[in-house]
Amino acid sequence: MPSPLYVPRVNNNDDSVRVVELRVKEGEFVKRGQILGAVETDKAVLDVPAERDGYVLKILGRSGETASVGSVLLWLGEIAGEQMAEQTPAALVVDTAGGTERPTAKAREMLRELDLAAAAIPVAGERLTVADIEAWLVTQRKPARAPGSDAPTASERTPSVPGEYRELSGEERGMFSTVLWHRDRAAPGYLEIEYDPAPWNDYAARYAEQNKLMLSPLLPLMAFRLVELAKASPPINATVVNERRYQYHQINLGFTVQAGQTLYLAVVNAAQELTAARFIDALGEVQRHAMAHKLRPSESSGATLAFSSMARWNVSRHIPILPPYTSLIVSHAAPNASGHAVLGASYDHRVLSGFDAAQILRALAQPPA
Amino acid sequence: MQLDRDTIKAAIRSKVIELAKALNIDAAALGDADIIPAAGYLDSSAILELIVWYEQAYDFPLRQEDINIDNLGSIDAMTDFLLARKTG
Repeated sequence: MPSPLYVPRVNNNDDSVRVVELRVKEGEFVKRGQILGAVETDKAVLDVPAERDGYVLKILGRSGETASVGSVLLWLGEIAGEQMAEQTPAALVVDTAGGTERPTAKAREMLRELDLAAAAIPVAGERLTVADIEAWLVTQRKPARAPGSDAPTASERTPSVPGEYRELSGEERGMFSTVLWHRDRAAPGYLEIEYDPAPWNDYAARYAEQNKLMLSPLLPLMAFRLVELAKASPPINATVVNERRYQYHQINLGFTVQAGQTLYLAVVNAAQELTAARFIDALGEVQRHAMAHKLRPSESSGATLAFSSMARWNVSRHIPILPPYTSLIVSHAAPNASGHAVLGASYDHRVLSGFDAAQILRALAQPPA
Repeated sequence: MQLDRDTIKAAIRSKVIELAKALNIDAAALGDADIIPAAGYLDSSAILELIVWYEQAYDFPLRQEDINIDNLGSIDAMTDFLLARKTG
């Protein structure tokens, strides 16, 4: 995907710089860190390095000319001849008025990967840093990626087999971010226990009959049990940010919903405040929104714990990916031929030990007394 | 879609059969008065899909408290509930 290289700020007092030189030509392949040119003010000269490997698609700056800080100096792309975006991505618009919020190179890279706008993120120091973005992501509970880790697209070459590039959809991009968080940030572990599903089935059937429910409450009741366990043991409901434990003050239960080809994580917010009946209603509502592809933003982000079932597809075991900033996702599967079923847990080992995860599963395997 | 009783019933039946088929189940024998969750043709997710389709097909947003056996439990119930709300 083409990405712009912006005219950097040399010092806080100058909103424009002179392009001293450009050492590359359009069509040339450059390596990350390679000096592509230099800009200067009357106070200093600054080299301009490439922020990624790629081909120089278009050069907009001219040697000897004055350029505004934050304007596009040149475009880099993965493939020679790639088409550039018609508009500058909002995420990369640099505030040229103040200057103190200019992102660092790593922050700019992170903004680009996550498609975020720098202007929306509070800055703690003189420049917007990766730490600023991560702190803001926690408040927004959005997925991040490890600083310094190369996204595959930055270093991968186009396969030799003929093909074509297509942009990821919003849902695919969400899944991509989730998988990257799981890979780069969490220390994922997985374990499972076998259990007898009969007591839960009986409990759910009685509950449905007593409450004249249209839909089986089995999975909602199991998810609610997970909420209750987290309520009784708050350390379950936490994550780690910048090597510090971040203890959530509310339990947002994410529940996977397959809507056609799209997998959503529908979220019931502040689930700790709900009764079982209210939780079942709230989950039913977000499930309906997901199936209609009409999840509200608050219903599609911010999970702190999650629950996933593939029992309806007769999958007897699955190891789910941890949603960003969750410590645990419980996986429910179909019973096997002997009538026993498996409850699994993907967990972030930075937050929970295997013992913790096993204890949760053992408690979850039994319906409330 | 037309708000004609027979047309509504046929559309709901067709949707139930389609959803059951995705689960490798033949629901052609479903009667108009049969309780859909009890009939075993559809699991909870499929019933939820049926409800979402019903809301969208008839531009008929439901409240969570509307979703119960009395209102939506059978093809007859779904038809009656829709007609009562739309024409009542």
